[in-house]
Amino acid sequence: MIVPLEHILVLAGLLFFLGMAGLLTWRANMIMMLVCIEVMLNAVMLVAVGGSARWGNADGQLFAIFIMALTSSEVSLALAMVVYLHRRKRTVDTDLFSELKG
Amino acid sequence: MKLYLALILLLPLAGGLINALIGRMLPRKVGETIACGVIWGAFSCALLAYTNFTAPVTAEYGSWLSTFDFKAPIALYLDQFSLILTLMITFVCGLIHLYSVGYMGEEASHARYFALLNLFVFAMLVLVLAANLPLLYLGWEGVGFCSYALIGFWYTEEKNATAGRKAFIVTRIGDTAFGIAIIWMFLLFGTQSIAELNFLAPLAPPGVITVLGILLLIGAAGKSAQLPLSVWLPDAMAGPTPVSAQIHAATMVTAGVYLLARMFPLIGSSPTTLAAIAVTGGATAFYAATCACAQRDLKRILAYSTISQIGYMILGVGAGALTAAGFHLLTHAFFKALLFLGAGCVITALHHQQDIFRMGGLRGKLPAVYWPFLAGVLCLAGFPLSGGFFSKDAILGAVFERGGSLYTSLFLLGLLTALLTAFYTFRMLFIVFHGEADNANHQENGERTLPLVMTITLVPLAILGLGGGVLNLPAYLGEGLLARFFGSIPGFGAMHSSHMEELILQGIAAAVSLLGLGLAWQRYMGVQRSGVLAREQAGSKLFIFLQNGWYLDELYRLLFIRPFVRLARFLWKGVDETAIDGALEGLARLMGRLALLPSAWSTGKVATSLFGLAGGVAAILAYCAWALS
Repeated sequence: MIVPLEHILVLAGLLFFLGMAGLLTWRANMIMMLVCIEVMLNAVMLVAVGGSARWGNADGQLFAIFIMALTSSEVSLALAMVVYLHRRKRTVDTDLFSELKG
Repeated sequence: MKLYLALILLLPLAGGLINALIGRMLPRKVGETIACGVIWGAFSCALLAYTNFTAPVTAEYGSWLSTFDFKAPIALYLDQFSLILTLMITFVCGLIHLYSVGYMGEEASHARYFALLNLFVFAMLVLVLAANLPLLYLGWEGVGFCSYALIGFWYTEEKNATAGRKAFIVTRIGDTAFGIAIIWMFLLFGTQSIAELNFLAPLAPPGVITVLGILLLIGAAGKSAQLPLSVWLPDAMAGPTPVSAQIHAATMVTAGVYLLARMFPLIGSSPTTLAAIAVTGGATAFYAATCACAQRDLKRILAYSTISQIGYMILGVGAGALTAAGFHLLTHAFFKALLFLGAGCVITALHHQQDIFRMGGLRGKLPAVYWPFLAGVLCLAGFPLSGGFFSKDAILGAVFERGGSLYTSLFLLGLLTALLTAFYTFRMLFIVFHGEADNANHQENGERTLPLVMTITLVPLAILGLGGGVLNLPAYLGEGLLARFFGSIPGFGAMHSSHMEELILQGIAAAVSLLGLGLAWQRYMGVQRSGVLAREQAGSKLFIFLQNGWYLDELYRLLFIRPFVRLARFLWKGVDETAIDGALEGLARLMGRLALLPSAWSTGKVATSLFGLAGGVAAILAYCAWALS
């Protein structure tokens, strides 16, 4: 294997925390938050693929494909909800939605 | 005999149960007929038992309490004393049941009334016929319960319900002493049978017998309204008048006398106990007689006279004259039931007016009540040759015979009481039935006509009361029937005094009674009548003092009720509300404040959750890193 596993893990970790930072800070736009979630999921997929290559086991790639299918359905649902939320308040800023407050 | 005894008890019980369970569904007439029928059935059975009676019998029906050595079977004991009492109870109660049909004719909840009345008769008969103390105690509490429920029969008025509670609580004090005595006797003798207890009594040390006797005396004082537990009986007049007649005059209140007479072989060996009993009786008789002189409520006069007459009976027991006490119990049951029923007639006729100063001149308007009532008055006043004269004199004679300074002074007190009794009895008669009618009261309402059943029941009682002396004539007129009949019961031995002495004593008693009559006549029938009545209504200090029963109620309020209320308030306000509630509420408030801290995190925004999630993940990762390194 040309690329060592450690590099992949470091890259994946960087991607994951970048996604997470984006998620926590870019709250003014819900779509951007979904993008950040995708970034985090991609980091996870990268680890799975990297592990799969490292140990010569197809399970990781299988998981990666599985996660792709999952995220596509998740994103389609989430976008639909974004549309609904936008209809309610004419905004996609999540800080303006606090109806769940107990 | 066993069958008769069972029927005597079961008939009133069955009547009570029928009226209690389905009485409301039955037509009124049927319920009344059942209630009266079972009592008269019991009376017939008692008569049959009387005709078949040869010697005391014990009949055992089954086991009731049986744990280790403690045995209290359902066993009845019939001897001469309980037989006579059973006859009296069923007869008098039968008449009162009939009277109730008239008196309670307009009462809506007649089923409850008759059920309780029947249950009362059942409990009273259990009390009288029980062969062991636990069974007697069952009847004792049973009559107490029925009395409570019937005093507060019209419970919608706060006053009546309170009177019922008062009766229940005050008698409970005596019952506690009685309960202690029962358990102690079992520990001492290992048996609960009354006959065995009386038989084994000489084995116990004299001091123990004295204390047992005092405990039984307290029990009797509670039930029989003796000093110092007498306060409940005047208030018990809140109940319907037939109830007052049946429970609070004729039968239940004499249960204390019955108990002491029953246990006499046990307690009689202690002179201290006997003296205590005699003093209690004598003092109560005097106390209640003075109170009765100043009452203005017709039923309260009779209530105080009941306390006074039972005082005489207790005095008789204290003097060891059980036959005399039993004799007075019988005649008193007849004439006091008569007086109460007569009073009930007057009260009904005057539309529930009980104040004697609002009455007057009823002699011409209610002749059917006046003549029987006069008979009852003569008996109560101890007018010569009436039943009450002979029975009261028998007690006083026995006290005199006993000798000694204590009993002699009690005899003198008894004579003074007899004078007061004659005075207040005729005062009541003269004010209620003689003189001028209170026009304001009468013209407004007119008299209500009485149902025939109410006046007719007075007649047999009047005959029995007046002629009751025949039951136990003094020795110089031949032997007394009761004395001979009771002679074989242990403890009932006849007193023997010379005929001359007895004649002199009766002469004194007759003179005292006539003197009381004369005083009352002079005061209430002469020209001064209107002035005296006006003065009594205004009420002098002494008069008010007597009217309030020597402020005995106030004394109790001061000694017991107020400290108790204060203690209760301290426990309520101080301990419960401040200490316990305060601690709990403080804890809850603290927890509430603490909960406010994390509650700030619940903003409902996604961001907060996300930060929480991130923080949690970071924490887990940090922990993993720390644990794995």
